[in-house]
Amino acid sequence: MIQTLRRVFLTLLFLSVSTSNTFAADDAEGAEEPIIDVMGTVADHDYFKVPKFINGGKLYLPRIFYWETAEGQSRLSAYASTKKALNSGEFIENDEGAIVPAGGGSIKVDFSITSHLVYFWLGMGLAVILTIMAANRYKKGIGRDVEPKGVMQNIFEVLFVFIRDDVARDNIDHHKADKYVPFLFTMFMGISFMNLFGLLPWAATATADLTVTATLALVTFVITQFSGTKDHWAHVFWFPGVPGWVRFILTPVEILGLFTKPFALAIRLFANMLSGKIMIIAILGLVFIFADLFGAGAGYGVGIFSVALTVVLYALKVFVGLLQAYIFTLLSAVFIGMAAEDHDHDDEHYFAEHIAEEVSA
Amino acid sequence: MGLLAAGIGAGIVALGAGIGIGMIGKSATESIARQPEASGDIRGAMILTAAFIEGVALLGAVICILLALGIGQG
Repeated sequence: MIQTLRRVFLTLLFLSVSTSNTFAADDAEGAEEPIIDVMGTVADHDYFKVPKFINGGKLYLPRIFYWETAEGQSRLSAYASTKKALNSGEFIENDEGAIVPAGGGSIKVDFSITSHLVYFWLGMGLAVILTIMAANRYKKGIGRDVEPKGVMQNIFEVLFVFIRDDVARDNIDHHKADKYVPFLFTMFMGISFMNLFGLLPWAATATADLTVTATLALVTFVITQFSGTKDHWAHVFWFPGVPGWVRFILTPVEILGLFTKPFALAIRLFANMLSGKIMIIAILGLVFIFADLFGAGAGYGVGIFSVALTVVLYALKVFVGLLQAYIFTLLSAVFIGMAAEDHDHDDEHYFAEHIAEEVSA
Repeated sequence: MGLLAAGIGAGIVALGAGIGIGMIGKSATESIARQPEASGDIRGAMILTAAFIEGVALLGAVICILLALGIGQG
């Protein structure tokens, strides 16, 4: 089971590549150049933002296309950057700013590595490395035979025990809960790191991208369905203990419910992180808007308030980032727990179907 | 028009979420006052329920952002 989950997770990790070029299409509107480009700051890019003195502030990431030529041949091409792809002569930029093959044909799948994907890997990688480091210490006996040593291991133990006891064991049946702890802990740590990366200068919040959060929710969805018991599926397709005609209403609603749960998970994380980012950009943007409208002095004046407010917002974002990671993990555990629940024999549906018959007989 | 719709929509979304989360907070604080030893469990349930309401509210907020930016108007 764990092996399968691991494989599914790794596959999804590599599939979570942004499949569209839409982020390049924003500047088509033309005439009036906005003072601050809010969406450009939160959007996914084909480059990595770095300090200005390194390579002009942009480190370009590889572009990988799976595409079909005009003759109908399928091809896989990889280039070091967008510019290299254009220079090779096989691709051109169309009017909307998207990359298309020069000689006709179309791009089937865009496997390009984008900045959000890199931060996704960084967040998940950091979670895995820290966990392996802590696991090695426990293997040596530190934390089992003697008390945990050092700040890192203590923090790790607090977080891990929190996820195991308060998230997994509280919401999933006791004998099954421990099986899901690795998944829940990976999610919690990975999402926390991704959320908090967005607070670093030049970095991007990977979770402020719907493709990333949808991938994470998809993992939860797949695991939930695979851990569903017979009772769970019986409740979805043939709800026990209700009059027959009610099932015609209940079954569609239950099937819809299977999909709305991960959808809500994805939207919640995405919208929280995106709105936090937009809020900070908007408040800092006031400085430039005032400077543009009333001259530099007004800009400095507003700057004092804007920066003070941004500091408060940053503190709030640290809290929200951890809280959203917790909520995502908690809801994943609740959904898995609902699907994996074994119904006890004193359950009222069971009573209605089996025991009542025996009593009357 | 899109901007107007987004503004009104954002207002209604904030209204609904505010009422919902306010009612959760009200009953949670009342329950904690009545039974302080259960405050841990109540806080957990409160966060969980608030997260559900927040999810719906943020779905509305995302649609308002899309409207305001004119994405998907062809």
